[in-house]
Amino acid sequence: MAALLGILLVLPMALSDRPFELRMMVVIFLYAMLGHGWNILGGYAGQISVGHGLFFGLGAYTSTMLSLKLGLNPWFGMAAGGAAAAAAGVLVGIPCFRLKGHYFVIATLVVAESAFQLFAAWDWVGGAMGLQLPVQEQGLLNLQFHRNKVPYYYIALGMLAAVTALVWWLERSRFGYILRALRDDEEAARSLGFSPALYKLLAMALSAGIVGVGGVFFAQYVLFIDPFSVLALSFSVVIALIPILGGAGTVAGPMLGAIVLVPISEYSRVLFSGTGRNVDLLIYGFLIMLISVYRPDGLAGLFRARRERRAYVSG
Amino acid sequence: MFTGNPAGRFVVLFCSVFWFGLAHSADEVRVGALYPLSGQVAKSGEDTVNAIRLAVDIINNKYPDLGVPFAATEGLPALGNAKITLLIADHQGSPETGAAEAERLIVQQKAVALIGAFHSSVAATSSQVAERMGVPYISGESEASTLTERGFKWFFRTTPSSRTQARDFFTFLRELNKGSKDQVRTIAVVHENTLWGQEFAKSVEGYLPEFSDFKLVADISYQQGTADVTSEVQRLIAAKPDVVFHASYDAEAILFARTYKQYKFSPRGVMAIGAAFGSSAFRQALGPDANFYLIREHWSRDLASKNRVVAQVAKLYRDRFGKDMDGTPARAFSAMMTLADAINRAGSADPKKIRDALAATNLAPDKLIMPWTGIRFDQTGQNDLTRGIFVQTLDGAPRMVWPFDQAAAKLVWPRPAGR
Repeated sequence: MAALLGILLVLPMALSDRPFELRMMVVIFLYAMLGHGWNILGGYAGQISVGHGLFFGLGAYTSTMLSLKLGLNPWFGMAAGGAAAAAAGVLVGIPCFRLKGHYFVIATLVVAESAFQLFAAWDWVGGAMGLQLPVQEQGLLNLQFHRNKVPYYYIALGMLAAVTALVWWLERSRFGYILRALRDDEEAARSLGFSPALYKLLAMALSAGIVGVGGVFFAQYVLFIDPFSVLALSFSVVIALIPILGGAGTVAGPMLGAIVLVPISEYSRVLFSGTGRNVDLLIYGFLIMLISVYRPDGLAGLFRARRERRAYVSG
Repeated sequence: MFTGNPAGRFVVLFCSVFWFGLAHSADEVRVGALYPLSGQVAKSGEDTVNAIRLAVDIINNKYPDLGVPFAATEGLPALGNAKITLLIADHQGSPETGAAEAERLIVQQKAVALIGAFHSSVAATSSQVAERMGVPYISGESEASTLTERGFKWFFRTTPSSRTQARDFFTFLRELNKGSKDQVRTIAVVHENTLWGQEFAKSVEGYLPEFSDFKLVADISYQQGTADVTSEVQRLIAAKPDVVFHASYDAEAILFARTYKQYKFSPRGVMAIGAAFGSSAFRQALGPDANFYLIREHWSRDLASKNRVVAQVAKLYRDRFGKDMDGTPARAFSAMMTLADAINRAGSADPKKIRDALAATNLAPDKLIMPWTGIRFDQTGQNDLTRGIFVQTLDGAPRMVWPFDQAAAKLVWPRPAGR
């Protein structure tokens, strides 16, 4: 664990003339963080959402609008973006949590798609043309780095480490146990005196807030947002796919999912896509099929199965 | 311990790809092309890249009979016949991926110039990377007006922006009004409400002060994908415009044309931006009612009647890719030729010299396959010699009717009532 962290801390030096790989690491960290956010609600509390792109987009739009209209600092925007996403999560959760199973999934999808349409038609937030953040003097204060992208790497790594620690703690906390109890048997949890509605809303707020903060980071990284890149349905699916592939309801799951999915999609695009035959997407889809057929519990299950087998042999 | 499991195999794959070599020789000029080659617009992206491939092939090899610059020679003469190496990257329509790919092409693939990017949103982010790294960027088909309003020094655009396209509508009407007693005065705009439609409507409004002889009497937007446009057409009938400007995609274009007929709404002309009102789907769905709609286009094969080169290039494209060339590939072809011209004049593969040569570009119309009056960049990097054309469907076939001096068929105006 410490060795891995050590490698990650010095990796940017090895990547100084390889911006593509550096950026890919940033995307891995960001997606793992989004996966953690989704995992709190989808993995631990068992409420599958395919609308988390909404919270990502809200975070990105909140900080960008605050910066464009009021000139507010992006660090303030990050707090505001996270808070706005968490609040939106609660607002979405109040009606949607009345639905169960597939119906909840459909509801999250509909809400996110409506938000996409709304933002695409809403002039004040740039409509379909999107918003461009003004280039400012680079530095930690403005959260903009132009010549050298290494600071983004460390910020993304730091955010991922913080969120991972939070989820690790959550898994062992009373709150985490209550969420898993809700997932496994809602009626039993209720009979023990835990209000499902309250705990689901808390999980939703935390989950949406983390994804919202990720959205703010993305806006500062790309300096351009439009509904197609931050609110599209396909993005919501990716946010859910990463922890599901890696292993829903585990701390390692979202990270494993991002480490596998992001490089596959990036390298297959670079190596095969220039032919225009969509080989990259075929490979991507095929791997997802393989994993879902042979490891329905995700990649984390691979390691768990091995550990259990070893324990069985030695015991 | 790793080699037996999928994770281990993956690590091996990752490392081997990671250290891919980057060998390249000195007598080549490396140009990066950023286009969407997967996802929703993959087909159009591929058609566009094909035009760039054709341009590079013409530059690199001998085409003795072709009337295009660099066709007679092999490679770029001023660089010791150096050849252009095209590095194609797929950005999937994502602004973030586009920026990343631009950085990869420049730093890791040593591209000295970039061309792209179909989507204006991707051109916005990827050209920012080029600007920061001091590499020239040329766009032949990204139209958002804002791209050349950013004060960039390394960004050049040969295609007209959305805004200048709207200008053609007014220029056309003004020429039509000249010497005619049947004056066009009132205009309505009907547009779908995504990026393209919104920007078109805004551009039309923006030109009203300059063309104050026209008055906007209705601005009607509708939801892309709608199944009924009765209320929109009722509003049009109430506003009684002389002419309707349309920004619609295929399905809604058919829907509007049918509803116009149903309610006998017959303005003097319906002028559309984009290909929907002249597409084969439109003509099939409406039969004879598809006639007389006017479509603003960038390019038409009818241009060949006055320009021999157009026919030659269109034939090469058709023979090689089994598909007819249309406006977007034609513009991408022109952008690549413009870039090659600049590299040749720079006499070097140095990005700074190429940039300066691009800024000094002055291409004559007889060297182009476009209806433009030339290629010359203004202070913002925008080609200010562009011009659109209008095509009218006559007897079920699209015919170029404007600019009047290049027309292949005579304009029918006003459109016969009841159609």
